[in-house]
Amino acid sequence: MEKIIEGQNITFSYDGTEVLKGINISISKGKIVGVLGANGAGKSTLLKILCGILNPKIGRILYKSKEIKNVSKREIATKISYVPQNSTFGFPFTVAEVVLMGRAPYIGRFEFERDSDWKVAINAMETVGVKHLQDRLITEISGGERQLSSLARAIAQEPEIMILDEPATFLDLKHKTEVMKLLKKLKDEKNISVIAATHDIFSALFYFDEIILLKDGSIFAEGSTEEILKEEILSAVYEINVTVKKENGKIFVLPTE
Amino acid sequence: MNAKNKLITSISVLFLLWILVAIISIFTGSYELNPFKAIFSGDELSRTIYFRIRIPRVLMAAVAGGTLAIAGASLQALFRNPLAAPFTLGVSGGASLGALIAIRLGLGNTLLGFSSISIVSFIFSIFTILFVYSVSKVHGVVATGRLLLAGVVVNFLYSALILFIQFFSDFIQSLQTIRWIMGSLDIVELGTVWKTLLFATPGCIILLSVTKDMNLFALGDDVASSLGVNIGLMEKKIYFATSLAVSAVISVTGPIGFVGLIIPHVLRMIIGVDNRIILPCSFLLGASFLTAADTVSRTIFAPIEIPVGIITASCGGVFFLWLLMRMKKEVIV
Repeated sequence: MEKIIEGQNITFSYDGTEVLKGINISISKGKIVGVLGANGAGKSTLLKILCGILNPKIGRILYKSKEIKNVSKREIATKISYVPQNSTFGFPFTVAEVVLMGRAPYIGRFEFERDSDWKVAINAMETVGVKHLQDRLITEISGGERQLSSLARAIAQEPEIMILDEPATFLDLKHKTEVMKLLKKLKDEKNISVIAATHDIFSALFYFDEIILLKDGSIFAEGSTEEILKEEILSAVYEINVTVKKENGKIFVLPTE
Repeated sequence: MNAKNKLITSISVLFLLWILVAIISIFTGSYELNPFKAIFSGDELSRTIYFRIRIPRVLMAAVAGGTLAIAGASLQALFRNPLAAPFTLGVSGGASLGALIAIRLGLGNTLLGFSSISIVSFIFSIFTILFVYSVSKVHGVVATGRLLLAGVVVNFLYSALILFIQFFSDFIQSLQTIRWIMGSLDIVELGTVWKTLLFATPGCIILLSVTKDMNLFALGDDVASSLGVNIGLMEKKIYFATSLAVSAVISVTGPIGFVGLIIPHVLRMIIGVDNRIILPCSFLLGASFLTAADTVSRTIFAPIEIPVGIITASCGGVFFLWLLMRMKKEVIV
């Protein structure tokens, strides 16, 4: 299968503390890959390195075998989009303006959006289900709606890879499910690869193809969802006893005390 | 309405507004000026007042007001904070102290062909921005409390140094300085306007060239970066360009307060927050505002002129308080 993004020997430290220690990963086209691990395991840093926001101290990132360092930031922005855990908005833009910003990498410094860019943005808002909010201010809508708007912005970028940092953490059950379904739809319909950090083992079970488990800045285990979600592996990563149960073809993960 | 049409419409309206304000300002003053007499007749006094005094003054007010407003809008985008402005951040104070030091030291008028006063003033303002920005940014986010405190402290420090210099000046020098510190446009000739434009224009052009990046920057460092913005470069352009433009103005007019704070806010309330529209419109509305304020300062107690800085600072102070009260509590950390 075609490798769309690869990380070789990624090493990174903040103020002398090593956060990632020689990580090797490769992501195939059209897969949903979950990055799981305890708080502080290095998930967010790994994602930021994969989309070129941070540069690894050692190691390199390859996008379709090309080193990402040698590609202009604007070109990368047309291939990879990023959604942070908690989007901040310094000024009260409207939802439509925020989504249109996803078109920025396609528009020159002194140019304005074309009609075609508006069409892409409106499609993205329809896909995510925030079109009715388009004239509302991003600072006035609910946290869930804001996260969906960020997602619409990332879709308007028309990327091949979407990188999301805990996309559903602050969402209620309904919105959480909607986001996960949406990611699956994007994968199925547009063959977009998704890399998402999450604490949500249940969503991972239902929607993810592969899982990478991080522990203390290294990969503890990786593989298909079934291979990874085993009692001994989860117990070791989260340092808590975990029971994995199968009932009627569904898997349940429960902490045991 | 899409952004492009919004820009064209608002620029046209604001430009017409400025023309109107400028015409009123030129023909208002303690000396009654008849437009036809001034332009077409040979009346020497009318011609002098018209071409040598009123027109340069109106142009200077436009350049100064426009530049301060565009700098304010840019600093607000950089700090992602509505309370940032040349005056509140201490940038105006820094530029003033720099200019004053250059004047008192009697540095030669020019240094490599540039006004030494502007250069020293520029150095002080760029260091002030760098200092306040680095002090108020914690973990990549500007904390409003730190920002305002840093601005206040820097302003106090500069005021103290300005007073110190004052203390060792003789009476006449001292009077001149006080007059200058109040901010005024009263000793302007056409040459001064061109010299100011020499620095203010490149500053404003650089700022206008990063308006798209400023919009993306509002979504946070990480998202902006993932959308292709070179954040370090954008920040440097904003430090450099605002310092250049603000010091060019302040070394001539003295610190005219609060234009940079009020104007972008008024515009955002009317036409939204898109920096591609807010920046050019800030220039035009700032120009009109300062021209109008200067007209008031010349006429309210005519024939006595009060410094225009008093008018803008009193409008601005009230506005600033209103803004602080209106902002949600959680914004002030």
